[in-house]
Amino acid sequence: MGYRVELVPIRLDPHVRGLTVPSRSPRQSTSFLTAHLARDAAAASPPAMSSSVSVAAEWDLLSDRFYRRITVYSPLPWSPPSAAAASSSSTSGGGGGGGGSGGVLGRLDLSTHIVAAAPFGGPIAAVRDDSKIVQLHSEPSRRRLLLYSSSGHPIASSPWPPQLPRLHSLAFSSSLNLVALLSDGSLLRFRLPDLKPNPSPTPVPLLPTSSGGVADAAFWGGGVAVLTEDNRVVVTTDIDAADPHPREFADPCVGQDEQVLCMAVVEPQFVMSGSPEVLLAVGDRVLAVDEDDVQTLGLELEIGPVQKMAVSPNGKLLAAFAHDGRLLVIPTDFSKIIFEYECDSALPPDQIAWCGLDSVLLYWSEALLMVGPNGDPVLYNYDEPIKLIPECDGVRILSNSNMEFLHRVPDSTTSIFGIGSMSPAALLYDARDHYDKQSAKAYDNYQLISSSLPEAIEACIDAAGHEFDISRQHALLRAATYGLAFCSQFPHERFQEMCKTLRVLNAVRDPQIGMPLTIQQYKLLTAPVLIGRLINANQHLLALRISEYLNLNPEVVIMHWACEKITASAAIPDTVLLEGLLDKLRLCKGISYAAVAAHADNSGRRKLAAMLIPLLLSIDEQDKALSKAIESGDTDLVYLVLFHIWQKVAVEKSAPLDFFGVINARPLARDLFMAYARHSKHEALKDFFLSTGRLQDAAFLLLKESRELERNPMASKGSPLHGPQVRLIEQAHRLFAETKEHVFESKASEEHAKLLRSQHELEVSTKQAIFVGSSVSDTIKTCIAMGNERAALKVKSEFKVPDKRWYWLKSCALATVGNWDALEKFSKERRPPGGYKPFVEACIDAGQKTEALKHMHGSRWQRKLQKQLHRSKIVMSYLVA
Amino acid sequence: MAQIPNLDNAPLNLAALREQSQKDLLNILKSIRGKKCVVIDPKLAGTLSLILQTSLLKEYGAELRLLSAEPLQTECAKILYLIRSELKFMKLIASQIKNDEPKGLQREFFLYFVPRRTVACEKILEEEKVHQKLTLGEYPLYLVPLDEDVICFELDHSLQECLIEGDTSSVWHVAKAIHKLEFAFGVIPNVRAKGVASTKAAELLNSMQQEDPVNMDDMGTPEINTVILLDREVDLVTPMCSQLTYEGLLDEMLQINNGSVEVDATIMGAQQDGKKLYKEIRDLNFEVVVQVLRQKATSIQQDYAEVKSTNTQSVSELKDFVKRLHSLPEIARHVHLAQHLQSFTGKPSFHARLDIEQTILEVQNFEICFEYIEEMIHKQEPIENVLRLLVLLSLTNAGLPKKNFDYLRREILHSYGFEHMPLLYNLEKAGLFKRQESRSNWIGITRALQLIVDVNDTAKRSIEELLKLLPGPHLDLKRGSSAINSSLDVHQGLGLQQSIDRVGHRSLVLVVFIGGVTFAEIAALRFLSAQEGMGYDFLVATTKVVNGNTILRPIITNSKEVMI
Repeated sequence: MGYRVELVPIRLDPHVRGLTVPSRSPRQSTSFLTAHLARDAAAASPPAMSSSVSVAAEWDLLSDRFYRRITVYSPLPWSPPSAAAASSSSTSGGGGGGGGSGGVLGRLDLSTHIVAAAPFGGPIAAVRDDSKIVQLHSEPSRRRLLLYSSSGHPIASSPWPPQLPRLHSLAFSSSLNLVALLSDGSLLRFRLPDLKPNPSPTPVPLLPTSSGGVADAAFWGGGVAVLTEDNRVVVTTDIDAADPHPREFADPCVGQDEQVLCMAVVEPQFVMSGSPEVLLAVGDRVLAVDEDDVQTLGLELEIGPVQKMAVSPNGKLLAAFAHDGRLLVIPTDFSKIIFEYECDSALPPDQIAWCGLDSVLLYWSEALLMVGPNGDPVLYNYDEPIKLIPECDGVRILSNSNMEFLHRVPDSTTSIFGIGSMSPAALLYDARDHYDKQSAKAYDNYQLISSSLPEAIEACIDAAGHEFDISRQHALLRAATYGLAFCSQFPHERFQEMCKTLRVLNAVRDPQIGMPLTIQQYKLLTAPVLIGRLINANQHLLALRISEYLNLNPEVVIMHWACEKITASAAIPDTVLLEGLLDKLRLCKGISYAAVAAHADNSGRRKLAAMLIPLLLSIDEQDKALSKAIESGDTDLVYLVLFHIWQKVAVEKSAPLDFFGVINARPLARDLFMAYARHSKHEALKDFFLSTGRLQDAAFLLLKESRELERNPMASKGSPLHGPQVRLIEQAHRLFAETKEHVFESKASEEHAKLLRSQHELEVSTKQAIFVGSSVSDTIKTCIAMGNERAALKVKSEFKVPDKRWYWLKSCALATVGNWDALEKFSKERRPPGGYKPFVEACIDAGQKTEALKHMHGSRWQRKLQKQLHRSKIVMSYLVA
Repeated sequence: MAQIPNLDNAPLNLAALREQSQKDLLNILKSIRGKKCVVIDPKLAGTLSLILQTSLLKEYGAELRLLSAEPLQTECAKILYLIRSELKFMKLIASQIKNDEPKGLQREFFLYFVPRRTVACEKILEEEKVHQKLTLGEYPLYLVPLDEDVICFELDHSLQECLIEGDTSSVWHVAKAIHKLEFAFGVIPNVRAKGVASTKAAELLNSMQQEDPVNMDDMGTPEINTVILLDREVDLVTPMCSQLTYEGLLDEMLQINNGSVEVDATIMGAQQDGKKLYKEIRDLNFEVVVQVLRQKATSIQQDYAEVKSTNTQSVSELKDFVKRLHSLPEIARHVHLAQHLQSFTGKPSFHARLDIEQTILEVQNFEICFEYIEEMIHKQEPIENVLRLLVLLSLTNAGLPKKNFDYLRREILHSYGFEHMPLLYNLEKAGLFKRQESRSNWIGITRALQLIVDVNDTAKRSIEELLKLLPGPHLDLKRGSSAINSSLDVHQGLGLQQSIDRVGHRSLVLVVFIGGVTFAEIAALRFLSAQEGMGYDFLVATTKVVNGNTILRPIITNSKEVMI
């Protein structure tokens, strides 16, 4: 087949597990853990659906569309054990079970809590609603702010700040700050995931003091609209800012006797003016309030008093529940009634929400009614409280025991799994089934659809994307691959792309992470934002893996991790922490150490910051900076960069190999480093030479060291054989010998060592410390001058001194000491290889002209000298003089 | 005692540049109140003597010391280090400062880098933990006029740094210095370069102009018409040959430092006080100089005889005579010097050496050359002399055959000691003394004189014609064709082409030698400039005035010390 379908969630490599942020309170974390383990055991079997059951059997028909409820997480870890097996009818969470291992933090009962849930599979926050009478099950009376993932795993909790006005409502902003609106109209905001008050623990007032407090409020991602008790509207569109800049909208002029029945907000991005529009239902009219105007809407439509409103996800439609039990769908400009449905209840629903763009959910206690444009509504029964969490493509339904997702069955899925569907996609899916069963029908199917194969493949891939169930994703993708085998023109990247996307989705949907994103939500949210959310939930490792998998820059992840790590590691000593940080920071090229250093500084860790500063130049920046500096031709700049990098190596205590690699590729940087290191960093220089294969240079360095020893009398004299010095030279010899090009140097240093030994022996035998350090020639001369011809001959043969040189040396030495007899004898030994010039010059140089002449005249080489005279003007001139 | 060069006839207002440097230095001194001890590095001491009278420093409450490894002996509480930014000086400074610590001396230390602060130097100060104790500054002395037509960048190690160490700091420095000239005299319209370092310097000059442009609006036409940059590396043959001009010989034999030579009192004579005569004779062949001096002396003698014998002169005639007598001390001085030089040049060894240089340049008889050098080694003649010929031999033959190469190297190590191994390695790295790998193109070069093809596409004939113009000293030795002109033919081509359309106006060419220039080469340029119909004046700028020995000597010493 050629395709391997790999949908396993992105795995967390165990050895990188270190990428976690330790909880700052260890006690708390253990209690998390126990809660975890207990719940995990209960949730061991995943809600896998058997494919033999007809998929479509679980669908509900509304109008002409199918809807389905997918159980995403069940049971939720917080549900009381008794409720886990079967939802009990009792609404107050869990009877006597609360005393068990569930503990305080693991429990959440929607009926007694004020709950907020963030869209896009975001976390859930809850605070016990103290306006209700609640039976406490061995839990502290003090309220806590609780934070869970969508899969019900506790993320954090913190005591609810005491002495605050009553909590009116909770909501998440789109950048995932938790916002609490207090009844006096002030905002308290909390940072995720640690629920730290952000920016300050004192609430920021939104309302003027005389307003009388909050009557109602409507949140959206970026802001909140507050209706005050005296019927005025205050809006902030900047809910995350330190100063949210509340603005009072135009006075809706609601009379004393009138009451605002409900409110809704058309989010700013759907309004022409760019600022939100607040809809207030007052009496039998609806007021559209914006910054400077109030419009009365809907009078002519005769809606009557509206009890509940919800704006559709695209901001164009309004679902309004009227006092007479009608559900109306109206454009937000109230131009007409698009459709209406008579509900049985005159009581307004507790919650109203849009499910996608073409159905509306109404929830009364125990009953969830889904109303479509026409036909019968669908009724779902719930015997426990639920919370509707609208998403862009459906609604998540949170109950005490389950997290479900209700959405319209996508067209591709319908075409494949719809009962009796004969669409090409359905046939392709079927074909794959046959193929797996090795049935020839597979090919029959293929023949039926061969003309529309691409569209069938596309449908299978698309449907796979919409599935939460991994085995069904698998089945659909396998069907697609079957089609792909016959269809070369289909863009294969589409398939690979889907596999990639699904791996990511499956990874974040894992209950441990608990982000039940649909593919549509994921696309709307975008991968970078998803990664941002993951790191905010301290899921750094997964965020990193996803970044790597999708080829996104992991810098954000690592940076955030580093900062969190610094914040959370107050007790860890600087050096240990630095090592831990660097370990991970190194994973990411081009990371800005500056930000990390700044964070360390802000967290009161001056010293750590100081240690990080040399690392400011990231590897990438280093490279760039170095290239730039070299380009500038200003060696000073090159040095500047070099020292930065070098210091970084020193701080990181990493092997300087990277550094060596970087500079070795750039001759100027390399040579400058060498020039500098010669002055102060011998060891580093040697490392550099050895690690870059410049063995000869390392050898020369050893020779230099040996000379330094020579100069230092303490180190050389007195120690037998000038041991250390010779040893260094021999080391150098071996290094030279390792390269083919330096045979000469190798031999020379070998001879050097030999010479030093011989000289030492000479000093011992002559008892005169005059040999060591002189050259071969000088040693010979000294020996001859001392009259020790044998020693001289020994040196000659040992170092293979050519005869030519020997004659010069010997005659010169003899002349120096004025041993003319010996000189004459020497001249008579045999014919000198280079002529008699050495004898003559030796005499002349010794200033013994007459002596020389005498010897010349009286010697038997005089004749030979005569012959040479006409060639040697030098001798001539002196002879004549 | 060095003298501040006279710049009255300089083609540019170099005096203003020098005054600026003077002022900068005095300002630094003024900024440190009270008595202070100024510690300068030895090289800089010479450089400063070209800028101001050292007595002037005393007027500013400064006592002078040379930087050395010894602890500083002074009463002053304020110490001003005026040091070129070289790594090796930093440890000396650090040790002097540290030396004070146990004594409990309360001293204030100032360190002014010449010409600029460098990170590497400061790094060493930091490592030595004296960084905090120093107040740092800069003395931006990038160039010093040596003569009316010679500027020096005072970068002694440029050649060895570029060739051996790979440190191209000097190239940046040269570009910076030229750019500084441009701030004073306008952007130089024509830039020509030959050689790796020169090309790089030209590029740097260009980018410096982009980053820190000279404003041309408030300047007239640029005073320098062309800058020609040349690497010493392009022609290392010339400095290895003996120079035979008077000044060149002085440098070879006695070594000219900062425009002066040190001679025994018995020989007597500082050369540059009587400018006129020296100017006249310095660029002449030494043999000619002797004749000129003799003529001068005899003509004065004749005049004297006339004055003595007759009584008929008018007062004005007498005045003339007396005037001529004024030049007598100068003549005497040069006669003494010449005599001293002749004691070298008269030696047979000097002639033998010239002969062998000639033989090497002719590349006819390798064996003779080889044996000559071999004998020098066996005789253990000064290694500088040996290497100078060896380098010449290696350069003209594109290296030595492996057998000879290894043999001579071994003989050198045996004769002079194994500690010269790094030296040989460095010379090999620099391409000065190496193994033969390809055939030598030396003959081709000497014949075709196309050393500088890429800068200059002048027809060959014109070069040859111009070479014929080259006078005495070089022709005498028959080495003119080979050596000096490597740099010359560029200018000649240039001169010919452009002097025609610029009749009557002599424009100025700045010739920059990166890595050094010899006195003989400067002489050749002066000669050229003095030719009739030549449309150009030449201003020579160099990192250092060199000869073969001064090129090799630092390599020899440094190979033992620092470089590898």
